[in-house]
Amino acid sequence: MTLVLSRVSAAFADEEKDVSALKEISFSVTKGGFVSIIGPSGAGKSTLMRVILGLMPHSEGTIVRNFSKSAMVFQNYALFPWLSTLENTAFGLRMQGVPRPERDRIAREKLKEVGLEHLEHHYPNALSGGQRQRVGLARALAISPDLLIMDEPFSNLDTITAEALKADLLKIWRDYGMTILMVNHLIPDTIELSDQVIVMGAHPGHVEKTISIDLPRPRDVRGPQFFKHVDMLTEIVRKVS
Amino acid sequence: MIRSVTHPQTKASHRAHTRRYQRAWLIMGVVVVVALFFGVSGYFNTVSWPALLEAVLHTTYRLAIAYAIALILGVSIALLVGWSPFADLFFPVFDVLQNIPSFALIPLFIYFLGYTDVMIILFAVSSIVWPILFAILTAIRSAHKDLNDAATIFGAQGLRRIPFYLAPLSLPAILTGSIVGIAIGWESVIGAEIIASAGGFGAFIKNASATGVSEAAIAGMLAILVIVFVVNRVVWAPLLAESSKRYAE
Repeated sequence: MTLVLSRVSAAFADEEKDVSALKEISFSVTKGGFVSIIGPSGAGKSTLMRVILGLMPHSEGTIVRNFSKSAMVFQNYALFPWLSTLENTAFGLRMQGVPRPERDRIAREKLKEVGLEHLEHHYPNALSGGQRQRVGLARALAISPDLLIMDEPFSNLDTITAEALKADLLKIWRDYGMTILMVNHLIPDTIELSDQVIVMGAHPGHVEKTISIDLPRPRDVRGPQFFKHVDMLTEIVRKVS
Repeated sequence: MIRSVTHPQTKASHRAHTRRYQRAWLIMGVVVVVALFFGVSGYFNTVSWPALLEAVLHTTYRLAIAYAIALILGVSIALLVGWSPFADLFFPVFDVLQNIPSFALIPLFIYFLGYTDVMIILFAVSSIVWPILFAILTAIRSAHKDLNDAATIFGAQGLRRIPFYLAPLSLPAILTGSIVGIAIGWESVIGAEIIASAGGFGAFIKNASATGVSEAAIAGMLAILVIVFVVNRVVWAPLLAESSKRYAE
């Protein structure tokens, strides 16, 4: 197990919205697995990610973090606007004190993997949304995480861009063998990508249901089995929202 | 001189600044034409140009030193406070402090420092530092939560957070804060010079106006306008254009 949460609760006052909370969240993530979290807004999905990463305290329960390094990919990319693509990608390595030639070499390697090696001198403002998200992914990969957390990474992208990135992500996941925990908002995406889906409900945020998807990979997204799973998940999500 | 500078680093104000600089060319053209007209008509014949030049340079020198000190002071305090967990605590305190009218404190400055360059410079520092401080603190406080998280997750923690995250994040705010600060700085330096008759351009126009001869004062104002315009065009406008482009979403 890479991550185990046992009856984790957290409460905090959010300035923008009302009080968000997590109540007795329990689930576990297998090493090398692809786990998706899906649920309505107000379910505290992003909050849960921040709690798992230790950016926010939890008030009750236990979190077992059985991974050595985690990285995150954000919905709105969260690239540093003052750094070039290469510098953004190498940021984590730089903070670890990796010398420049070495970190630039690794960063170039990762940029190549996400197909952006030709844009290393560009700044984020000169990149499209899809390109920015690829830089975000390269930045995360550069520190060789064994747990990659992704908070709705495709939701700001158009369908074609998202499809391409999804295919690349699946390839990267296979090659690296890392664990991925992704907040997702589209049911077909969730079925296509995940081994396990955690459905959350809102007010307060809680785990409604955990389901396993054991369709063979690569997944046929047009087959009857796939649609059966989409129907099943749609039904569950409809109940909680 | 009560001036609350709240959000000088927003994109809207960036655009407003850019527009203002474009308009500045037009205004400057008018100023130059008027000055030439006055010059040709012999209006400035009585002006003592060496004395005026000395006065203007003295004031500019005081402002430059004051700005340098205020910049170092404002940036260091703002970054340290913004880095610490107490930013929310300090903000209202600074807000009260900056609202103390600086000219009300000028007797104190004169009492302790006399009619000296140091007095004028430190007095100007006390007014320039606020817009810089507030611009940076506001930028840090209003930074997107995800960007903060990204900095933390990828290792910009502890004191390293300042040079690698907070300082570059604050760069546009340092620029806009500086522009507002220097505008206030001109007022403070010249105002203090007028009040304390402590040399420089302020004392120059005070003397020029006291004897009823205002040609010198007008020539001096034109000189200040030219300096302000040149500094804006050469230093701030390019920096501002670059930063608003780079830091745009």
